[in-house]
Amino acid sequence: MFTIVGKYLVLMGNVFTKPVRGSIFFKRVLDEIEQIGVDSLWIVAIVSVFMGAVLTLQVAINFEAPFIPKYLIGLSARDTMILEFSSTIICLILAGKVGSNIASEIGTMRITEQIDALEIMGVNSASYLILPKMIAALVTFPVLNVVSIILGIFGGYAVAVFTDTVMVYDYLYGLNYAFVPFYVTYSLIKICVFSVIITSVSSFCGYYTSGGALEVGKSSTKAVVYSIILILLFNLILTQVLLT
Amino acid sequence: MIEVKNISKSFNKNKVLKDVNVDFEPGKVSMVIGKSGSGKTVLLKSIIGLHKPEEGEIFFDGREFINANIKFKRQIREEIGMVFQGGALFTSLTVEDNVRFALDLFSNKTKAEKKKRVDFCLERVDMQGSNELFPAEISGGMQKRVSIARAIVLNPKYLFCDEPNSGLDPQTAIIIDKLIREITLEYNITTIVNTHDMNSVMEIADNIYFINDGQKWWNGGRDDIFHSDNIELNDFVFASELYKKIKDVSK
Repeated sequence: MFTIVGKYLVLMGNVFTKPVRGSIFFKRVLDEIEQIGVDSLWIVAIVSVFMGAVLTLQVAINFEAPFIPKYLIGLSARDTMILEFSSTIICLILAGKVGSNIASEIGTMRITEQIDALEIMGVNSASYLILPKMIAALVTFPVLNVVSIILGIFGGYAVAVFTDTVMVYDYLYGLNYAFVPFYVTYSLIKICVFSVIITSVSSFCGYYTSGGALEVGKSSTKAVVYSIILILLFNLILTQVLLT
Repeated sequence: MIEVKNISKSFNKNKVLKDVNVDFEPGKVSMVIGKSGSGKTVLLKSIIGLHKPEEGEIFFDGREFINANIKFKRQIREEIGMVFQGGALFTSLTVEDNVRFALDLFSNKTKAEKKKRVDFCLERVDMQGSNELFPAEISGGMQKRVSIARAIVLNPKYLFCDEPNSGLDPQTAIIIDKLIREITLEYNITTIVNTHDMNSVMEIADNIYFINDGQKWWNGGRDDIFHSDNIELNDFVFASELYKKIKDVSK
């Protein structure tokens, strides 16, 4: 365990060094923004709309009692999306999509000697490969978070419009009721931390792959599992620190 | 010139290299031969710093490498070209981008100058016109040639080739061999080739180093091989009927 943490810290030490060429580095970051962020937009959008809709339906069904105000349906949909779904659950999904992609990409580069080729050329392979991914995730994940919140709330709104489980007026009133702006900040802080966890842990798993195709698959699985466990752990820690 | 002095390297108490001493001269093709698992790849990777030996020293033109700091190592590595066994081309980049990669990172050439240099290197390995293809779209032999073009793009002082002919047909293998030899002579490069392809050895080797059981067992020239009475060397080199007959004829 200590060896793994030590190796991880040494790798991160190598990652955070000055890039060889600013222009190349900038281009790498843009490529990664497309691959990590833009390419994840569709899955985030689909999941958020449907989850927002289902969440609203389920809350509406459970708020049948006449003494519970109906606008709480909108409020609960909003707060659930902001506090937990659009940061934590979306990151668990992204750990599967982005994390496995990063681990298998870097792992394949390792076993096909592409990382050795970088090192032989005098390139700091850790920094060249991993830092752009981390920066791209730090830039795009908060955007995905905001998109997810908006689309999730829209999914709930669609339920209000197309079904009779909740009135549109009640839903909209609930959305505006007792809004705490800090919840958005809390959500953004969480997703920034999670983005670092997903990219760094997945890169670590890929970077130290040895063997063949089977080991690349194992690294990919490890990357997802470790990322998810760490996301859940840090979710607990950050919630305790920031909200209580 | 590369001087390897008393190098030893172990993996989990298994001593793979045992006190190896070798000097590789510039302008010559030095070939390291030996059975699979004899330690020749570990020797190559130790020289270029992908493995850290427990003992010994390595000098690149008098500059100590093993204990140098990472910044100095990277400076020396900029003078190294390497052709990997599988080519190790960057699969997400085109042939042109692969060859231009080191130029983008380490040279101050203009875009036009870089293009000219890339085209020159690709022409040198007879791969002109393949600039926009991806590694997956070309054959293994072509990948090796692009790999050589990438290795020579910065005019390296040292060229390392790890089994450059593995998986290639005899004709393509000879083309690759001749290319390595021509480049070595043309630019006075210190070239080290790891191989167990005896055809390559007979074709282009200036100096031959036979590694057996992690030790330098024998070294000499192409002609010396036929007159050596080293049992392990003879077992390795003359394993095939063809080479046994060649030896008989040479006697």
